[in-house]
Amino acid sequence: MKTNRLLALFLVGMMLLALAACGGQPANSPAPSPAPSSDPKEAVSPSSQSEAAPSGPVVNTVILKEADDQMINTYTLLAVNPGAPFTDANGTPVSDVSVNTSGAAALIQWLLSEEGLKMAADYGVEQYNDHLFYLLEGAPVYEGAIEKATEETKTIRLSTTTSVNDSGLLGALLPVFEEQYGYTVEVQSAGTGKAIAAAKYGNADLILVHAKSQEEAFVSDGFSYVLPGFQSERLSFLYNYFVLCGPTEDPAKVAESATVLDAFAAIAEGKHTFISRGDGSGTHTKELSLWPESLGITQEAASFTVYADWYRSANAGMGACLVMAEEQKGYILTDKATFLTFMANGGKVA
Amino acid sequence: MGKAFEQAAALILSGDRELWSILAVTARMSLCSSLAALALGVPLGIWLGACSFPGRRALLVVNRTLMGTPPVVCGLLFYLLFSGVGPFRRLRLLFTVPVMILAQVTLITPLVVGNLESYVTAVAPPVRETARGLGLPPWKVFLLLVNECLYPIFSVYLLAFARAIAEVGAVSMVGGGIAWKTNVMTTAIMQYTNRGDFSKAIALGIILMALSLGVNLLVSLLQGGVRR
Repeated sequence: MKTNRLLALFLVGMMLLALAACGGQPANSPAPSPAPSSDPKEAVSPSSQSEAAPSGPVVNTVILKEADDQMINTYTLLAVNPGAPFTDANGTPVSDVSVNTSGAAALIQWLLSEEGLKMAADYGVEQYNDHLFYLLEGAPVYEGAIEKATEETKTIRLSTTTSVNDSGLLGALLPVFEEQYGYTVEVQSAGTGKAIAAAKYGNADLILVHAKSQEEAFVSDGFSYVLPGFQSERLSFLYNYFVLCGPTEDPAKVAESATVLDAFAAIAEGKHTFISRGDGSGTHTKELSLWPESLGITQEAASFTVYADWYRSANAGMGACLVMAEEQKGYILTDKATFLTFMANGGKVA
Repeated sequence: MGKAFEQAAALILSGDRELWSILAVTARMSLCSSLAALALGVPLGIWLGACSFPGRRALLVVNRTLMGTPPVVCGLLFYLLFSGVGPFRRLRLLFTVPVMILAQVTLITPLVVGNLESYVTAVAPPVRETARGLGLPPWKVFLLLVNECLYPIFSVYLLAFARAIAEVGAVSMVGGGIAWKTNVMTTAIMQYTNRGDFSKAIALGIILMALSLGVNLLVSLLQGGVRR
């Protein structure tokens, strides 16, 4: 009996060791930790990509194409309409869905107040030496009073995209709001498609997403409404850029192509590895719109089976996809905020 | 190779508040759900194993099917039931620990029932014979059987606990992995992996395994006390 127990302990120990062994490699290879503080900053600025290459950058993936009008990535707030035509899984209408409207209104009002906007625009400058988000010109600004939390309204359910959450923006902003007004914001982060679906199932009070076409469908289906004091259901307030990234060697020469559409065409033509989020997120939606129409790539798996040798649909978060692109020397579309965080942390988003 | 261990140790020693919150939620969720499943499953398992009645075989087949329920299917079911548009929306339980426990109990109870049933079937005939000879009432026969099964009950509990602490499909769906509230070890590992932060995910994995080892050692010690 004694030997049996020893054997069991031994086996558990072996499992722990195996886990640790797997852990050693990713921790070592992409981030040789000696100088993570200076290197990433170099690699971050797009102009330095060429110098960064020979000196052996921490992360081989660099921004190749950015600041193209096609690539603007706008973030929008939408309050969930309590009177929306909610239906259950069978399609039967449901009328008494509880939505914390005043909590959602308070959070939106604060995010669009002078204080909220300034904090969002300044976010990341200190840490990453670059703006992660920019204030949208003509963004709605709220100047009225903001209601404090009551027992009834203190929990706000915010459904948002991974890019907003993983970049740390919400982690920096929300505690300030919670402290001042007494709310608790519960953040669920998933791709835009999932975030919107959560709201349609009555599981969110407001959403913060970045896919115009999906937002407009959400509004036209009646799931959002105009908050008092605002002009529109869609409250777009921040933007940054999507960036096309890839290996420093840039085999498809996308850095030299005139527009981003040409760049995508070049990738497809040369059948260079491309990592797609493949998860219905805002980034995925954007990517689908950039491929030459003749390829016919859509959300459906059947539409890209013929391109399976170079088009890899990962169905994973942005960070996991960036790691995949790095390992497979592939091209990838990402939002700049996530990419900068990824670089600054030596190959991970956290 | 030591890197991941180092990071796991550093993570624990740093007193990271989020890690402690994750640990606390994990402990609450897996202890509550495994104990509730045990409380429900032991009587059911003994009943199914010791008594013969029409429909028993059918119940066994149903239970064995439930033992194989994919966690995501269970998660999806509870998500739809407790969603803002679901039939139980007024309880407002979605994305809370209680609904995670509920989903876990649904997943684990059949395992407890099935495992206990197969043990009880073997020991029940002699026990029943003795009971009949002594003229014991049914509830005393039940207690006698429980006493007879103490040893396997501990093993079954470990199985239930292991399932509860390791499960991710159902808890990520109904819990939503909300920081400070419903984020457990497994959902946190998924989140870190999605962010490409593999080393932190592995560190959490090591802590999870260590936790599991601790609970197993404890229960094994207790079990040693009831060894026949």
